[in-house]
Amino acid sequence: MLHIPSRIIQDMIAHARELAPHECCGILSGKTQQVAEIFRITNILANMSDQELSRFEGAKLSDLKQLSPEERADIAFQMDAREMAMAQREIRTKDQELLGFYHSHTASPARPSQTDITIAMEFESYRQKLALPQPLHLIISLENREKSDIRAYRIQDSQATEIPIQQISS
Amino acid sequence: MIKVRIPTPLRPMTGGKNEVEIAGNSVAEILENLGSAHPGIKERICDDQGEVRRFINIYVNEEDIRFLTGKETPLKDGDEMSIIPAIAGGN
Repeated sequence: MLHIPSRIIQDMIAHARELAPHECCGILSGKTQQVAEIFRITNILANMSDQELSRFEGAKLSDLKQLSPEERADIAFQMDAREMAMAQREIRTKDQELLGFYHSHTASPARPSQTDITIAMEFESYRQKLALPQPLHLIISLENREKSDIRAYRIQDSQATEIPIQQISS
Repeated sequence: MIKVRIPTPLRPMTGGKNEVEIAGNSVAEILENLGSAHPGIKERICDDQGEVRRFINIYVNEEDIRFLTGKETPLKDGDEMSIIPAIAGGN
């Protein structure tokens, strides 16, 4: 169970709506599965060169190459590495843990895509060497305009397992 | 020699290896020598100005080089350098 203050849930939804149709992304930190802080991170995908897109693989890479840079951010995200590093440092300074990464799916359900799973597994292989805790992956779906949906997953052995979210007052 | 961890998307350029041993006394030297040993890989990590691309973090042991002395960060035998793309995904 991941406990998230309602103000942070609202902030994630607001972030997703502000950037739609682009995907938003960010980091959640806290302790013992209780989120205390949110870090909005810039999705730099629209500013990546064609060569840099090869960071993605397979069908997603083919799809991205067919779109204009602006449109690419509608179907994928890439966190700004510097902002991610700064957030991780602040988290460490505050003696918190990196609890999760979040991003939005503006027109699809709050379930990890194959790309999400592939890249989460890639991160998992680095994470253990860097002594980072295992983060959850949260997805905010705006597919239903009336009612956004947020779900959290643990991604392990290329399988995504949903972890319930408990909203807490704040 | 410095053990350099290669991220998944760049492994085709190191013959599939996830770690390579490279000689060098700083992060900049390692990047240069990595590029000589595996042509094309440095361009995937650094832009035309030689700066690390915006989606990549480089760690020496467990610390990001931004919080050390960047590409001038000195290295000694036994140190490990990791090239890690920031998290990404898509719908």
